[in-house]
Amino acid sequence: MKRYLETGNFAITEGAILAGCRFFSGYPITPATELAEAMSLRLPQENGVYLQAEDECAAMHMCIGASLGGMKAMTATSGPGFILYMDPYGWALGCECPLVVLNSGRVGPVSGITGAPGQGEFYLMRYPTQGGNFEAICLAPNTAQECMAMTVEAFYLAERFRMPVSVLADQLITDGFEDISVPENDDEMKELGFRTWPRKIHQGPDFYPYTDALDVPPVVMGHNTGALCSDWTPTEEGFDIEEVEAHHKHAYRLIYKVRNHRDIFNHHYEKKYMDDDPDLVVVSYGSPSRVVNTAVEKARGMGLKIGSLRLINIWPFPDEHFDRKTKYLTVELNWDGQLVREVKRAAPKDSQINFLGTCGDLPTTPDLIETFEKILKDEPLSRQGWVLEEW
Amino acid sequence: MEYKASEMTAKYLRSRKIPSTACSGCGLGMNHKIVVQAIGELGIEVADVIWGTSIGCAGRQTFATWKGDGFAGTHGRVYAIARGLRIALSPEKKIILTVGDGDAFGIGLMHLIHAARSNADMTVIVNDNLGYQSTGGQYGWTTPQGSHTDSSPYGMFEHNLMSDGMDVMHILKGAGATFLARHVAMDGAVAVETVKKAIENRGFSLVHMPYPCPTNFGSRELGSRNQVNIYKWIERQAAPLGQEKEDTVWATGIWHDASNSRPEFSEFVHETLEKIRRTGSI
Repeated sequence: MKRYLETGNFAITEGAILAGCRFFSGYPITPATELAEAMSLRLPQENGVYLQAEDECAAMHMCIGASLGGMKAMTATSGPGFILYMDPYGWALGCECPLVVLNSGRVGPVSGITGAPGQGEFYLMRYPTQGGNFEAICLAPNTAQECMAMTVEAFYLAERFRMPVSVLADQLITDGFEDISVPENDDEMKELGFRTWPRKIHQGPDFYPYTDALDVPPVVMGHNTGALCSDWTPTEEGFDIEEVEAHHKHAYRLIYKVRNHRDIFNHHYEKKYMDDDPDLVVVSYGSPSRVVNTAVEKARGMGLKIGSLRLINIWPFPDEHFDRKTKYLTVELNWDGQLVREVKRAAPKDSQINFLGTCGDLPTTPDLIETFEKILKDEPLSRQGWVLEEW
Repeated sequence: MEYKASEMTAKYLRSRKIPSTACSGCGLGMNHKIVVQAIGELGIEVADVIWGTSIGCAGRQTFATWKGDGFAGTHGRVYAIARGLRIALSPEKKIILTVGDGDAFGIGLMHLIHAARSNADMTVIVNDNLGYQSTGGQYGWTTPQGSHTDSSPYGMFEHNLMSDGMDVMHILKGAGATFLARHVAMDGAVAVETVKKAIENRGFSLVHMPYPCPTNFGSRELGSRNQVNIYKWIERQAAPLGQEKEDTVWATGIWHDASNSRPEFSEFVHETLEKIRRTGSI
């Protein structure tokens, strides 16, 4: 292992290279710019290609082109750029084109605060394009080291599931300097739990099976397999068709290839003090989860029976963690409450669900402990945030 | 009616998609034939071409017609896909894109300009049916001035990329395209020769090919779906470059031929990166 004091962006770059990524296209945007810069330095050294794009939409389309040509490709941006991915994201989902997409969240809407962390794209990562009829996979690391791990994992999943897989980080994680270990050989990769999957080439001429099958090689152009893919509803052979039955089969595959194989990635979560049926479960992901873990540990020291559930695989949403009736608190970097809605949906009906939102800055440990105490005593929160209505 | 495939069709096209589902009298097939004939005359094999299309009449009707590998991209972004694909493909493979006027000169113009700038090896055939016809017939960015369409019921009065001194060819030339030409669908054998040159250029080539749409454009502007009317209307307003008349809309022929005059994008990128690996600088 080589150790570095470096940023999350550095870790993502090294992770991508370890996973076999040899094409990156991006557009400068805070706080993902340093990732593009790191790629522009490192990829040429690794027989890879970095191309700056005219906008994010073109960036992801160029990644699609590279992936269609048989390369493992990645793009990265922040919220204002992520919305320009909507067009290619849908194409990559529909055409089952493996790609990795990183979103480093900042404060929105629109340009908002560029240099501060935000979590406003929780649902956008689930619905990164229009039309529905698909499932999305999203991983949300909370350290630079985990950024590397989840980037490697995203490439692995992208190939096996034949789809774009996203990594959701935020400004603190991608910009922050941390202790990072980069494996130097396969044994060290294994030691860190990194797994990789080679690019295989679909031998065609069929485009896809009407099943939830994994490990179907993606369509690759240039090998004269007669491969076809398009933005229209496909027949099994890849021809375009305007037919509801064909679309139903297509949608079935896009949804259930993910839903029926969640066991491949749903172990990506972290539980702390969750073994004794805690009175309050604090749910979080990304950078706020680091403060949450500290606060929960302190609260335990104070005798409060509190557990921490940190989600890493945020989409498809891991409902299985919410089968117990108890009190829940979500801690998020937004003031409108996004994760809380999903917890409310997944938890037993009469559970008590609470929300603590901040934005642009992390909550403090004392803030959190005060909130825990109030929830346990059923006292009103000083920062009410998003009030849950009945629905 | 039984459809009898010609030798060329049998060699290059998928019988399932030929004839296409285009409207009766549509001129797109003429453009399509010009391109396939050019490929045939150059002796290019099915395996040597990646055929990309986009959406709209031109994209949908030509998608999956090619017997080899083919894709249809999102609206206007196929030029960006092609640049990424170009990096991954071996240089001897040809990328041929059959797209529409709205795709190339409207929603995709920025990506088109960047494809021209980078001189990425691709041949873009812009099949111009004078507007957005698959959505029922709205004006586009090369629709002749004054034309009546569903979104210009009083006549199209905006300046566009065919207005005097604003021809889209000038924009693309300025952006660095190395081969530019225009032909109307009725140009036949002359157009085949031009498309051959476009394909032979190892760099960015574009051929703008207006073709007749009797169903939507013809019915709104000329008041009838009679195919002969719209064919004659286009033919009358087209003239070879240098022989333009007062009422010429489409000056046809080769606008700019700087074939193989500057490095092709993917070769240039790969060579430069190789040098960086060797020497540490460009």
